[in-house]
Parts: sequence; C-alpha cells; structure tokens
Amino acid sequence: MTGATLHGMLLRCAPLFALVALIVAITLLAGMADAVTVRRVILSLVNVVAVIGLYIFMGNSGVLNFSSVGFMAIGAYVAALLTMPANAKGMFLPDLPGWLMAAELPALAGPFLGGAVCAAVALVVGLPIMRLSGIAAAIATFSLMFICYIVLGNWTSLTGGQISLMGLKSYVGLWTACGFAVGAIAIAFAYQETRWALALRASREDPVAAAACGLRVAALRLGAFVLGAFVCGVGGALYGHFQGTLRVESFYLDPTFLLVTMLVVGGMRSLTGAVVGCLVISLLTELLRLVEVGVPVPGTGITLGTAAGFGDVVLAALMLLILIFRPNGITGGREVLGKLAGSGGQK
Amino acid sequence: MNTLVQFAVDALSLGGLYALTALGIGLIFSVMRLANFAHAELVTCAAYALFALSAHPLVMAVAGSVLVAVALAVLTERLAFRTLRAADPTTMMIASFTVSMLIQKILIFALGSRPKSLDPVPVLSQAVWIGPAQVSLLKLVTIAVCAVLLLALTLFLRRTSFGLQMRAAAENFTMARLTGVRANAVIVVAFALSGVLAAVVALLFAAQTGFVQPRLGVPLMITAFVATVIGGMGSLTGAAIGGVLVGVVTTLLQVFLPPDLRPFREAFLFALVILALLVKPNGLFPARGLKERI
Amino acid sequence: MTALLQVDGLAVSYGRISALRDVSLQVNAGEIVAIVGPNGAGKSTLLASIAGLARPAAGSIRFRGDSIAGQPLERTVRRGIALVPEGRHVFGGLTVLENLRLGATIRGDRAAVAAEIAQYMALFPILSERRNEPAGQLSGGEQQMLVIARGMLSDPALLMLDEPSLGLAPRIIDQVYALIETVRQRGVTVLVVEQNADRALRTADRIYVLNAGAVRLSGASVDLRGKPEFEAAYFGIWPEGVRP
Repeated sequence: MTGATLHGMLLRCAPLFALVALIVAITLLAGMADAVTVRRVILSLVNVVAVIGLYIFMGNSGVLNFSSVGFMAIGAYVAALLTMPANAKGMFLPDLPGWLMAAELPALAGPFLGGAVCAAVALVVGLPIMRLSGIAAAIATFSLMFICYIVLGNWTSLTGGQISLMGLKSYVGLWTACGFAVGAIAIAFAYQETRWALALRASREDPVAAAACGLRVAALRLGAFVLGAFVCGVGGALYGHFQGTLRVESFYLDPTFLLVTMLVVGGMRSLTGAVVGCLVISLLTELLRLVEVGVPVPGTGITLGTAAGFGDVVLAALMLLILIFRPNGITGGREVLGKLAGSGGQK
Repeated sequence: MNTLVQFAVDALSLGGLYALTALGIGLIFSVMRLANFAHAELVTCAAYALFALSAHPLVMAVAGSVLVAVALAVLTERLAFRTLRAADPTTMMIASFTVSMLIQKILIFALGSRPKSLDPVPVLSQAVWIGPAQVSLLKLVTIAVCAVLLLALTLFLRRTSFGLQMRAAAENFTMARLTGVRANAVIVVAFALSGVLAAVVALLFAAQTGFVQPRLGVPLMITAFVATVIGGMGSLTGAAIGGVLVGVVTTLLQVFLPPDLRPFREAFLFALVILALLVKPNGLFPARGLKERI
Repeated sequence: MTALLQVDGLAVSYGRISALRDVSLQVNAGEIVAIVGPNGAGKSTLLASIAGLARPAAGSIRFRGDSIAGQPLERTVRRGIALVPEGRHVFGGLTVLENLRLGATIRGDRAAVAAEIAQYMALFPILSERRNEPAGQLSGGEQQMLVIARGMLSDPALLMLDEPSLGLAPRIIDQVYALIETVRQRGVTVLVVEQNADRALRTADRIYVLNAGAVRLSGASVDLRGKPEFEAAYFGIWPEGVRP
C-alpha cells in the first residue's frame, strides 16, 4: 500500500515540502529587503492563506465559490472585536454589549476564533446551498458574500458600519504571516489527501454519477466548504490586523474576483495552483507598481516610468493572456513534484 | 392609487433595464454557455461614447454609442472568447471577468476614475401626470423603449431564419452546426446584439443617474446576472421575466421594508435569490438542453 | 467508378482509448450500406468521424474524391452529407415546422424547400397536424421521422443514420425503414448504423460488421444472410488462431 512505509509517506508529501520550502524561502529573502518590500510580502502571504481557503472548496469540489471574501470579513471583524483594546472599541463602537466591549483576548487568538465563527456560519448557510452546482452555486455563494457585505456594512452598533475601525492590534509580522501560510498549506494538503476529499474530487469529474449518490456529495462538499471558510476567516483576520484598520469596503467585489482569478490563473485544481497563482499575481502586481513609480536606468539620469493605472492595465492583460494560452492555469491542475508523490496530479 | 401608479412606473422601468441587460447576458450564454461579466463594460463604454459625443445631436450620439458597444463586443469575442470556446464554464467566466477588469483599468488609465456628468436627453427630465399621480417622463420612456426592444428581439428570433438558427444553436449547438448553422456567425451576432442592448441600457441609465464613471455598468450587470439565473440561464424569456421580477421585488422591498431595515434591502433581495435558487436551481423558466452542449 | 464515400485505414481515439483501428470501407452511389456490430464496437465513432465530430488519428476519409477528415461541422452538410445522430436530437423547443426548416438552412431555393416540406407532411400526417407544436412533444417514432425528413431537406447525396430503430416498437421500425427505402428511391445514398442486425440484413445492399474498432467481415447482405461467420463476427467469437 502506497504511503505505508515512511519512505512512501515522505514521497507523498513531496508537494507539501516543496510548497513550504517555497514560502520559507520567500520569507527569508524578504527578511533582507527594505520595509516596503517586507510589507508587500506579508500581504502576499496573507493572500496565500485566503486563496488556499478558496481552493479547499473550489479546487476539490469543482464548484464555483464567490463567498470567500464574505468569510474573510466575518473573520476579520470577529477577531477585531475580541482582541481590540477596550478604549479603541469604545471610541468607534460605543454601542457594543458589555461583554464584547470588555473582551480583550490575546491577539493570536483572533484568527482562530474568527475562523471558528466562519466555520459555524458556513455550516449553517452551506447546508442548503451544497446541492447547487455550476452557475446556480456561483450566484448563491455570490449572494452570500453580498449579504455579508450589506449586513456588516449596516450593523453599525456591532461593526461601525461604513466607518473604518482603527486601533487593531498589529502582530502580523513577516514570520507570523509565514507561519500562517505554512499552516494553511499544511491543512489544505492534509485535507486533500483524505478519502473524503478524494471522493469529492471523484464527484467533480462526473456529477451525473455523483447525483446518483445524492446526499453524500452534498455532505462532502459541506465539509470542504466549512474547512475553506475557516481558513478564509483566518486569512481575513490576518488581513485586517495587518492593515491595522478595518473597512467593510475591503471585502467586496474587487477582492472577491481577484481571489478567484488568482486561483484560476494558478490552476484551480491543485494546491500548487492556488499558491503559485497568488504569488505570481502578487509578484506581477509588485513589479508593475515599480514600473509605474519609475525604474531608474543605471548610468543615466533617466527614470522610466508610466502613468498611474498603467500597471493595472498590464496586470489584467497578462492574466487574460495566461487564461487564453493556458485555460487550465499555470500549473494545469498538477501539483509540484506530483509525479514524485505518485498522485500524478488531480487532472 | 397614486402610489400604485408610481410604484408600477418605478418597478417596470427598473425591471425593464434589468430585463434588457439580462437579455444581453442571456443571448451570449444561450449560444456559448459563457457568463459574460464584460457585458458591464459594454454599458460603461457606450455611456462614455455618449459623453464624448454629447456636443452632437442625440441621434449621432446614440448611433456612436451603439457602434462602440457593438464593436467592443465583437472584438472581445474575437480576441478573448473565441479561443476559450472549448474551455470549461468556470474558466470562461473568469476570463470574462478578466476582460471586464482590463477594460475598466484601461478606462481609468485613459479617462480617470472621476465621474463625469452626462445628460443625454434633458428633455425627458420632467414629470408628467397620469391622472392624479406624478411620474417621471424618463421612466415612462424607459418602459416604452424596453418594451419595443423586447418586441423587436422577439420578432427577430421568432420570425427570421437567422433568428431560427440562433434558437436552434441555443438549444443544441452541435446539432445546429450539423444542419448547417454557422457557429461563428451565430456567436458574433449574439455578441453584436448584446452590444446594441447594452448601448440602449447605457442611454437610459445614464439619463437617470446623470453621470458616467468607469464602473457604471457593474451594479447593473450583477443584478441582471442574478435575474438571468433566477429566470433561467439560457432561456431568453426567462431572462426578461427574471429582470422584470427583480425590478419589481427591489422596488417592493424599497417601499415596504421598515425604515431601519431599508439599508439591508439588498441583503433581503439576495436572501430571496438564494431561496429561489434552492427551490428552482435551473431558474423559473429553464431552457431546454441546459445541461450541457453535446 | 470512384466510390461516393471511401474510408481507408481510419483510426480514432478518445484520449488513450482506441475506438477505431484501421477501418476501411466504401459506399457507392445509390447503395444502402449498413454497419452492424454490438455496443461499443465503434460504429457511432465511425459516423462521427465522417461527419467531422471526431478527429481521426490516422487514415483518410474521402467523399466524392475530396478528403474530408477533420473538417468543421458546418462543412459536412454543405458537402452533401447529412447525419441523423443517435438519439434523434430534435430541437424540442422549436416547432415541427421550424425543425424541418432548419434542415434546409443551406438551401436558397425557398419554393422547392416549401414543396418538399409539404411532401413530407403529406407522407406523415402527424407532422402536418403538429406543425406548430414543440417537436419535443412528438413520440419517439414521430421524432425519428422528423429528423430523417430534416436530414433529407438539406438535399444530401449521402444520408447517414445512427441507430434509427433504437428504442422504437417494431411497427414503428417498419415505418422508419420504409422511409429509408423511399430515401433510396430519391437517389440518395444511405449509410446506416444498426445494432439490429436482422433489419440491416433485410434492407441493406452491403454490410460491414464492426467489432472492437475494426471491420471483421463485409459483403453483400444476400451472401451473409444466415451464415455462421456473420454471427461470429458480430459477437466477437473469432475462429482459432485469429486475434482481434
């Protein structure tokens, strides 16, 4: 039986090790760079967590999911409410119930509690939705995100509504982000090796056959959905605390589509795709931003730069080109070192 | 009675806009199984064309905006979507979103993100009386234009031979090709028609809101997209009905929700959407042959 | 005389699964040729490749002397080949009349088309009765008549039918095959794929027996009738020493 021996198991985990090594390498490199770059890298690592949360459900079930950003918002606000210092809370959210106002848990508990609340919410709302597929699922999950946005954006007493919450504890440093990214990769990898994930992927290939199994597919999907929501919640909490201020606007349309695009461009069906898609797009964004700011040509006094907004245009064009020439994404749905692991990828 | 008339006018004019947008999306989905997010940009660019041509007579401005929308639609088909015809629906949808982003960013880069004011048909900004009720002339004209366009589209699809080919392609693309229907022709015409619909929506919407900005078409398209799914993806009747339905429900919610719940109006709308999908996952009027393109 | 349709060494695969291996056959003008074989023999794949639905990995398909392998679907009917695929595939949401009109998409002579449609309506009164109703509401047999008429309306030189008797009652099958006979009388060549070997033997001039992707046996139907080799080829029982 494959994986029974230690050697076999290590081989199977090859993709995991490769991805973790990649993340750690990036973190090490960033550690030597200037402060601005460090911040960019931290943001990329936080995005990795979010994209992995999306992948856990979308990659394994093949069902389109636009709700990730909604869970990120929930995770962010829960973490903030439970860990913000009381005086900051009092300033922005004077109407909080007493126990919530007083709550000031250790900062690192925030992401996990945020994730847990997301998981609970996902369990409840996901139950009916898991029967849907294709476009219907896309719209239903999109509606979920929208509902989160509206509710959080208007529940002024709880979240401050449209105003920005400030004074969040900042603890998302480079190695913290790295740790969470590695953790997310590990969770996703461990999950996709379970037999439930395997069954879910089988249903992805042949939904008609899966329909004959009816309920089971919905249950499998729900498991992936809940786990994915947890990871997204963690990602959202990290994002919010990295920025230091929380605005419900940050969890609306643009990041929704950006996350899904990152996943699809990287390769929807593999964990490597999720990580690579996120990193590649983050890298491209960064490079293009530099070009916008201006690149001094060495030896001359000239700085080559472009007008504002040009970087965005090029980024969108590049993403489109990647999709046109590689419709299955950069990784084509395969895992790095997948052949070594014997899985041969999830094609 | 006043309120009923006003309500009807509000609901139907909103529903009409949603219906036209939903048809633009539905036309393409029915022949290609592509959910075209870039449709929003067709509306936006048509509105910008109106802005650019605002010094000229209205007829010219409208013609220009139709031309821009149609050209853009056909261009996106040729450059982006033709190669992806064989890809799975998710990739196609994401590609359409990328196209949408690309066009938005180009607009922002070239024209800036500040809204520009636009009043293409000032003559319509007056109120008229229907009996004792006072309603917006623009909204009445919107209803009329939407109805006329719906009728025209229906006649085209049901009475012309090309319309027949398009309906056949929508039902069973491969079989249609086997009877001689040209795939490219049908798809290009679907895109061109969606461009025309987008331009009309742009005119009416810009006239109502009074300005144009790079994300003009986005909220409209999202709601219309939802309407298409509720009405039945791939079914044009469904798209139109879905659009009107969403318009009516939105207006209903606006009128009947208690004031402190009004800001949550759209949350209620989307909750209803989820409910509708759970009851009828294929929409209220699902198209035949929706399952897959054989 | 060159054959109307000439297939040589055709090989078609779906991914790693080989559906057809080295298939050769020919159809002459005016004939009715049948391809019989059990499920999974590759018969549908054969018609699909001729129509342009599947791309051959090897071999050639010539129609009227021109190579047609791998051409786009719209070209097929314009060359003079009409395919009536397995499962009928009427456009259920369109009316009976609209289905028939679609068959004539490539033709420009409206008057002649209208006259032909009237002929088919006279031949099958049910089509006339239900002319403005959705074709999806016809029975299986009626739909089969409809799609054959639809195929004929493109004025083809070759009519290909994939399992026209599938799922139909024997009496209806009689009607279908009577229609096929009428088709031949109009000068149209017919290539029919059938699991129902008996029907094929009775109607066709020549038969090819296809099994596991290759032609096992071929000949005039009069010669093959009742022969044990025919059964053996159909069921895949090969004589000693012969490997598939």
